[in-house]
Amino acid sequence: MKTEKLSQMATAEEVIEAVAEFSREAHSFYTDLVPKVTKDIRYLVEDLARAELAHVRMLSDLMKSPDMRDHLKDAIRRPEADRRFSDAVQAPELGDKPDDQQVLQYALAREQVALEEFSELAANTPPGLLHEVFSFLANEETRQKADLEALYYEIVHSGGV
Amino acid sequence: MGSLRDVLSPFTAWKHVIETPVTIRNPIGREAADGYRGFHQNDIEKCIGCGSCEVICQNAAIDMVPVSDPVDGDSGLRPKIDYGRCCWCALCVDVCMTGSLTMSNEYTWVDTDPDAFRFIPGVDPKPWDDLEKGYRREGGRVLTGAERVEMGELAPEARIDNFDEIVAGYTREQAMIEADRCVECGLCVATCPAHMDIPDYIAAIREGDYDLGLQILYETNPFSEVCGRVCTHKCETACAARHEGDPIAIRWLKRHIVDNVSEDRRLEIVGTPQTLPTRRKVAIVGAGPAGLTAAYDLARQGHAVTVYEAQDKPGGMMRFGIPEYRLPYAALDRDIAVIAAQGVKIETGVRIGHEITMDRLRAENDAVVLSIGLHIGRSTRIPGTEGGGVETAIDLLRRITAGEEVPVPKQVLVIGGGNVAMDIARSMARLQKVKHGAVGVTVTALEDFAHFLADREEIEESLEEGVEIIDARGPQEVVRFKSGNRKGEVKGLRSWAVTSIFDDKGRFAPQYDQGDERLHPAEMVVEAIGQAADVSILGEDLTEALDWNRGRLAVDVAGRTSEPWLWAAGDAVHGPDVITAVADGHRVAASVGAMLMAMGEVAR
Repeated sequence: MKTEKLSQMATAEEVIEAVAEFSREAHSFYTDLVPKVTKDIRYLVEDLARAELAHVRMLSDLMKSPDMRDHLKDAIRRPEADRRFSDAVQAPELGDKPDDQQVLQYALAREQVALEEFSELAANTPPGLLHEVFSFLANEETRQKADLEALYYEIVHSGGV
Repeated sequence: MGSLRDVLSPFTAWKHVIETPVTIRNPIGREAADGYRGFHQNDIEKCIGCGSCEVICQNAAIDMVPVSDPVDGDSGLRPKIDYGRCCWCALCVDVCMTGSLTMSNEYTWVDTDPDAFRFIPGVDPKPWDDLEKGYRREGGRVLTGAERVEMGELAPEARIDNFDEIVAGYTREQAMIEADRCVECGLCVATCPAHMDIPDYIAAIREGDYDLGLQILYETNPFSEVCGRVCTHKCETACAARHEGDPIAIRWLKRHIVDNVSEDRRLEIVGTPQTLPTRRKVAIVGAGPAGLTAAYDLARQGHAVTVYEAQDKPGGMMRFGIPEYRLPYAALDRDIAVIAAQGVKIETGVRIGHEITMDRLRAENDAVVLSIGLHIGRSTRIPGTEGGGVETAIDLLRRITAGEEVPVPKQVLVIGGGNVAMDIARSMARLQKVKHGAVGVTVTALEDFAHFLADREEIEESLEEGVEIIDARGPQEVVRFKSGNRKGEVKGLRSWAVTSIFDDKGRFAPQYDQGDERLHPAEMVVEAIGQAADVSILGEDLTEALDWNRGRLAVDVAGRTSEPWLWAAGDAVHGPDVITAVADGHRVAASVGAMLMAMGEVAR
């Protein structure tokens, strides 16, 4: 029982590293996808790759910040959403020629997973720096998801509606 | 020699010295009567710069002058009044379309600068700007009618089992009354994408000169018969008359002109190209409104134009997307006949990218125009959408027009809240009425009624025809029977209530109430959520070579793509709208024409 409880815990460093890995995988996935999609929708994949890279950089800066360094070893309860989060690190196959709607649906699903992960992490940490960091990251994901939803509506729900 | 009376009479005036004077010793500062017509006031926010005051002024005392940038429905002009000419008759107040112009009861003003007596009320501050006393028009406008002449329509019960045209068209008398309401301000012209000369063709109706009216229509729009029926009539949203009544029925008046000119006479009036052939060749891909408008213009410039159309008949979305009860095919054919009469060759049943490649078009022509429309229907791709019993509206509408057999179950569910959703819902309702004797169509849309994308008339007429419309529902799954005889067949659509669809910035951000789940029973689900262009006809190399702008072909203001031989126009570039496509067709034709002319000059 005690072991099980311990396995539910992780350090802040581990959690943030997992998050960074999630974004690194996504960046790599989108970068690989760029030449596979037709030029008319390439902007979409390039935008997504850029957003993930920005995410990686932001997390890297966060780990290096002096304030954060003191909290890297703090124990945090692993979120329930962690399994879905870990699964999503493995990018799925979108086929040889995915269209804009498939790319967007995939990106939206990833944003949802990340949003749930950060929201739970924020809820699991007491008020303080870590709580603020995860709340900030959750808000970032919410904003990015909103941007993607707006883009989805613009692209898919347009033309003759 | 004067009389004694002549000598004494000047002295009689002295008696007035002791009388109470009847004139005003100091008129400055004396308040006029409450309703006196004094210096003008203008509510600058209400004024739309229509210029009706300038036109009616009998003394040419009013000039419309620019005070701000024009926007739709507001010219940015405001009346400047010259009080050296103003006779204070207040006709300008009486005719004012918005009620913005009034007159204060201030009538005295002393200034040594004569130019001070020419000013812009509401813009140049004056002491009487806020006075409440003065002359105001009582009630609404009376010089021009406020109510639109109602258009005759087939009753719902008379139209639900057929595809007969619903709208009857104005009689001569009705059109005259409606045309009489127009003050010819011209605000509509700027709003019309094709900048049709609306005031002049309405004036032609008043004169009863339909030949002139038709001539004016064709100066800017070779699809006037089509637009007289299905135009999105943005012009009417800018009409000055809408401020204190109904906007002028510009679309119906346009139709009235075409209705009153026979097809033969139309061909006579429009005529054929009056220029020698240039020996330049242009290929146009897609026989929709943009492509055929460009073809019309270029043919009249003397160029040899061939339009390639994948379907068996020309017209694009006008034929294969708009049901016949809104736009009879015969009306479309009459417009196309005039275009064909210019020498435009229309090759139907030719799919570019299959029978003919883009490379070949480029090699055999001096210019190529892409006007391929938005012919791919989008799918929600929610679970269950793959497999039988789920259709896209665009494909169904095309098959209905082509006379192909389409499934007509007793209960159909349409996903979408735009005009295409209403078109397919109403088409299916007609087919159901014929086949089953009853209508069973439900439309569900993400948007609530306040944010529906379909035109108000479309929604009202759909409801009249028995179509059920449920707003604010988010589709989650096309549910299929899991067992029994009907295993795998569509059972209905599972949806959640949408609590909000846009965030506080107006962006799409749907929020659902998962507790409010419903199953809408249906044997067939039709998706009408959006459309896309089939750009696969370009081929990989050309797709790669071209510049794109967030999913759409990148074009310059003239419609030219990054490839110097290729132009693009219409729905695929600027979104779906017939009149916008017509305007686009003119724009690319002008650009292509200029390039061909330059080629001719070089060749000489």
